[in-house]
Amino acid sequence: MSGNGDGNKMRIKNLTMFYGDFMALEDISLDFASRRITALIGPSGCGKSTLVRCLNRMNDLIEGSRVEGEIILDGENILGAGYDVISLRRRVGMVFQRPNPFPKSIYDNVAYGPRLVGMKDNEKLDFIVEDSLKKAALWDEVKKILKRSGQSLSGGQQQRLCIARVIAVQPEVILFDEPCSAIDPISTQKIEDLMAELKKNYTMVIVTHNMQQAARVSDHTAFMLVEEQGQPGRIVEFGDTNTMFTNPTDKRTENYITGRFG
Amino acid sequence: MDPRKADRIATAAFWIVGVIALGILAFIVIEIFARGLIAAVNPSFFAGKPQALKEGGGVGPMVVSTLYLVALTMLISLPVSVGAAIYLAEFAREGRFTRFIRFCLDSLGTVPSIVFAIFGMTMFLFYLNWRTCLLAGAITMALLNLPVFLRSAEEALRQVPRTYREASMSLGATRWTTVKKVVLPSAMPGIITGTILPLGRIMGESAVVIFTVGVFVRAVPLSPFDPAAPLAGYIWYVQSEAIVPDYRSIVNGGAAILLILLFAINFGTRRLAAYYSKRKSLGG
Repeated sequence: MSGNGDGNKMRIKNLTMFYGDFMALEDISLDFASRRITALIGPSGCGKSTLVRCLNRMNDLIEGSRVEGEIILDGENILGAGYDVISLRRRVGMVFQRPNPFPKSIYDNVAYGPRLVGMKDNEKLDFIVEDSLKKAALWDEVKKILKRSGQSLSGGQQQRLCIARVIAVQPEVILFDEPCSAIDPISTQKIEDLMAELKKNYTMVIVTHNMQQAARVSDHTAFMLVEEQGQPGRIVEFGDTNTMFTNPTDKRTENYITGRFG
Repeated sequence: MDPRKADRIATAAFWIVGVIALGILAFIVIEIFARGLIAAVNPSFFAGKPQALKEGGGVGPMVVSTLYLVALTMLISLPVSVGAAIYLAEFAREGRFTRFIRFCLDSLGTVPSIVFAIFGMTMFLFYLNWRTCLLAGAITMALLNLPVFLRSAEEALRQVPRTYREASMSLGATRWTTVKKVVLPSAMPGIITGTILPLGRIMGESAVVIFTVGVFVRAVPLSPFDPAAPLAGYIWYVQSEAIVPDYRSIVNGGAAILLILLFAINFGTRRLAAYYSKRKSLGG
């Protein structure tokens, strides 16, 4: 399926973003194909994390941030006036760079989202917790220690717990902001396998500075770059991951993926 | 100089300074207990009725007054301080207004307690026509402690990692839900530890007590509108005004009791904070 076809879950149209007077992103247009993984790659500071945080409007939390343009989710502009940010974040979940489980039990971490919408039925909660942990490939490791603190798990397990926590909210899109940069290679492998599995049901976006990871997990890749210090991040090239890694059209993309800079 | 020699000299110098500081503290504690501990642990003293003229009076109502005043003050200042701290740390946008609030708080924090005492007296006794009572003292004391308390609560809230807030908001929680379910439980040990200093200050404060609460009562205060005589004020009163012949031993005994109460509250507060941080890590 093409990244520009009809099966797009989300579309970014001419997005420009500012922190105060500083333009962080300029004229970004990008499509996220439904039930596919799109990778955002580029050197540090190119704005890929900033961009992914526009998709669930986490940047709203930063004072002085401002966006122009449109982000369409299922035909509706999420940047439009009066758009319900709370329900947006339930539909577009996020996994962060550092595993950030709450200082609560494993169970309560996963049940956090469902409880937010008022679910109190213990049987239903038990089911959701088990189901989400299974989908996050963590159930077998934690089924006997659900009452233990989520923070007592290893880094890789914590990250899968965070994925389970997102799955429990039943989102449609999951954003991964460099999810493996703080964990070991074996755990990274597990999370990549997990993403491949989750692709059946979710549209995913992954920010990564690891090109091998982008090549391994994603269907489409966008390469971002800040040309010169102080300039905004822009998309250099966007397309099918295989094509991009074997036959990039832009010289800068080629230089980056062959390791000449970044 | 040879760096190793300098290191030895520095180690010795800091050791001596440390020992002097601890020695002075230990001396004060030992001195107070040596003079007053025997009286302090005597039930007819710590639970006994005070005497206005004769020898052998106790400080029962004063001990109750002290604890009552502490509890009442905390009851008033805890919600106000923590509420304001939540506003400043979680909701307020940094700007001219919050800078102004912080400036006022810092200024308020340096005002001597006697000024608050005069304010409390003017406000409650002259303007509202109350008699001296626990409530007048507790409100005044809450104002006195507001800056310290608020700042420590705000600090405890700010210590909570930003990543918890992000995780919560990204799951579709509102700001208030995030504060209630994630930030406050995590900040609780810090907030509780932050009450130790104000608690000690309330117990030891005499100016506010003398002007707004009272320095002598015969009976245990029951209502917040009853006059009372917390120990710090009573000690001052007995030492400088009373005509009982055994005033020296009352002062010494009272000081020892005050110190014991301070240790007890300090210990209790720490246990409570430890309990909360344990519960936090276990989940719940």
